Amino acid sequence: MRNYTKPTWFAIGWLGLMMFFSLFGWLLPFKPWNFVFEDDLEVGLFSSGHLLGTDSNGYDLLSSAVAGTRMSVFIAIAAVGLGGFIGSVLGILAAYLRGKIDTVMVTIFNVGLSVPNLVLALALVSVLATNVDINQAVPTWRRVMVLIISLTIVLIPILGRIARGATLSWSGREFVTAARSMGMKDSKIILRHIVPNVLPALIAVAFLAVGVVIIAEASLSILGVGIPDGASWGGMIARGRNDLEYAPHVLYVPIVFLALTVISTNHLGDVVRSKLDSREAKV
Amino acid sequence: MSRISFWLQRVAQLLIVLLLVTFGVSLLLRLIPVDLATILLPVGTEEERDILRNELGFDKGPIGYYLQWLGNFVQGDFGKIYFSGGTEEVSDHLKVAMPRSLLLMVYTQILSLAIAIPLGVLSAYRAGRRADKIISNTLFTLSSIPNFAIALLLVIFVGVKFAWLPTLGYAPISDGVWEHFKHMIMPVISLSLGLIATYTRLLRADMIAALREDYVTMAASKGLSDSRILWRHVFRPSSMTLLTSAALSMGGLIGGAIVIESIFATYGIGFEVFAAIAGRQYVALQSTVAVIALFYVFFNLVVDVSSGFVDPRTRDRRVNA
Repeated sequence: MRNYTKPTWFAIGWLGLMMFFSLFGWLLPFKPWNFVFEDDLEVGLFSSGHLLGTDSNGYDLLSSAVAGTRMSVFIAIAAVGLGGFIGSVLGILAAYLRGKIDTVMVTIFNVGLSVPNLVLALALVSVLATNVDINQAVPTWRRVMVLIISLTIVLIPILGRIARGATLSWSGREFVTAARSMGMKDSKIILRHIVPNVLPALIAVAFLAVGVVIIAEASLSILGVGIPDGASWGGMIARGRNDLEYAPHVLYVPIVFLALTVISTNHLGDVVRSKLDSREAKV
Repeated sequence: MSRISFWLQRVAQLLIVLLLVTFGVSLLLRLIPVDLATILLPVGTEEERDILRNELGFDKGPIGYYLQWLGNFVQGDFGKIYFSGGTEEVSDHLKVAMPRSLLLMVYTQILSLAIAIPLGVLSAYRAGRRADKIISNTLFTLSSIPNFAIALLLVIFVGVKFAWLPTLGYAPISDGVWEHFKHMIMPVISLSLGLIATYTRLLRADMIAALREDYVTMAASKGLSDSRILWRHVFRPSSMTLLTSAALSMGGLIGGAIVIESIFATYGIGFEVFAAIAGRQYVALQSTVAVIALFYVFFNLVVDVSSGFVDPRTRDRRVNA
C-alpha cells in the first residue's frame, strides 16, 4: 500500500469513481440521461447547469456519461467474470489432466483465437440478437444479455490459454508431485495448490480483459450493433459522430471517460503483474 | 525425417483449426431462429426461395450445408450477395477489399516498426534512465487509448478543424501516389499507436536480456563502439521476437480494423464483414470470416517457418520437444 506511485493512486481513484457511478449513479440528483433539454442544444463544456454540456438531442452529457458508466462497467464486469471463470476452469483442467482433454481444449482455444476478437463478437451478436420477426426491434435487456454472452465467448479462449499456461508451469513443481505422492485427491490438489498460485496471474489479465471488453463493447456500439438507444459510452460516441463537425465536445466526453478507464485498468493490470514478477524472482 | 513429420503435423493442426472455424461459423448460421432464404429474398416468391434453399443447401442438415459450402469455397466460389436488384459475387467484393486491407496492414506494420525499433533500442540502451521512462510511459498511455478514439480525434482536428487530410474514402495508387497516401495517413496512424507500444516493449525486454549476455561484454572489451554492439550484436538476435509478433498481429489486423475502416470508409475486408452483418448477408459473412481465418492461420504458419529458418536453435528445440 505504501509504495504505490501517483499514477497507481490515480488509477485506483478513477476506477473507484467509475464504480461509484455505476453502483450509486442513480442517487445523484440528475435528470434521466435521455431527458431532453429543449432550450440547451449543443451547449459547450462547463456551461451553467450542464457541467459537460449537451448534445444536439439536448441530452445532458454528464448524466449520459454516468448512465453510460453503469452500462459499460456492468457489461465489462459480467463478461470478464463469466469468461474468466469458465476460461480458467477449462484452462486449469486441460493443463492439469493433460492428454486428450488438453489436446481438445487447445484446439478449441486456437479455433476461437483464429478469428479476430471483434469479428467474432460481431458475428455472435448479430446471430444471437436476430429476432424471429425481423421487423421487430430487439429489446434493450436482451441486447445487453447478448453482448455479455458474446463477449464472454470471445474471452474464454484468451483467458483459458493463459490459465493453461500458468497451470502448466506450476503443476510440474515439487510440492504438487509431493502432494500427489501423499495420495491427495486431484480435485484437492487443484483447489489447494494450483488455484492459489495461478490466481494472481489471472487477476492481472482480468484487469486487461476489462479494458478489452469496454473497447469491444464501444466498437460494437459504434458499428450500430451494441446498445441501440445509446446508454453506454460507445452509444454516446456513435451518436456524437453526427455532431463531430459543430460540437466535438460531444465526442470528447465519452472518449475521455473510456480512455481514462482503459488506461487505469491496464495500469493496474501492469502493477499486479510486476508485483507477481518480483514475487517469482524472490522464490 | 523428424523435421518433415513436424511440419506435416503443424500443417495438419492448422487445417483442423481452419475446418473447425468454418464449421463453427456455418453452425452459427443455422442457429439463427429465422428462415435464411426469407432474409436473403424478402420479396421473392416461395418457389424462388425453394430454388435458393436448394442452391445453397439450406434444405440439407447442418453438415450437408457445410460440406456444400466448403466444396464451393475451395473452388473459389464464395457465394453471392443478394439484394433487391439481383446478386453480386462475394469474390468480386473481396477482390476490391482485400488489396485495400493488405495495403493498410503493410503500411501500418512499416510505420509501427520504423518507430518502434529506434525507440525500443534507445529505451533498452538507457534502461531505467529518464529517456526510457518517458518513452515507456508515453507509449503505455497512448496504447491504452482505443484506436477508434484516436481515429475520431484525428478526424476532428486534422480532418475538420485544419482540413489537411480527407476524412473519408480510399484512393487507389493509380489516382496518384500522394492522393493514395492522403487517404491512408489517418487510418494507418490510428492502427499504429497500439502496435508501436507493443513492439517497443517487446524489443526493449529482449534487448535488455541480450545486453546481459557474455558476448556483449566480450564485444565491449574488444573496444567495439556502443552503436555497433547495439545494432549488430544485440538488435539482431532480439529482432526475432519482434518479427514473430508482427506476423502474428497481421492476422488480427486484417479483420480487426473494422471500426477504423468504417470510420474512414476505406471499405476493406473488415468493412465487408460489417456490411454482410448489417445487410444480413449470411453467406457472404461465412465466406468473409473464413478468408480472415485463412489469413490468420497462414501468418501463423509463416511465423513457424521463418523462425525455424532464421534461428536454427528454435528448430532443434521444436524437433526435440
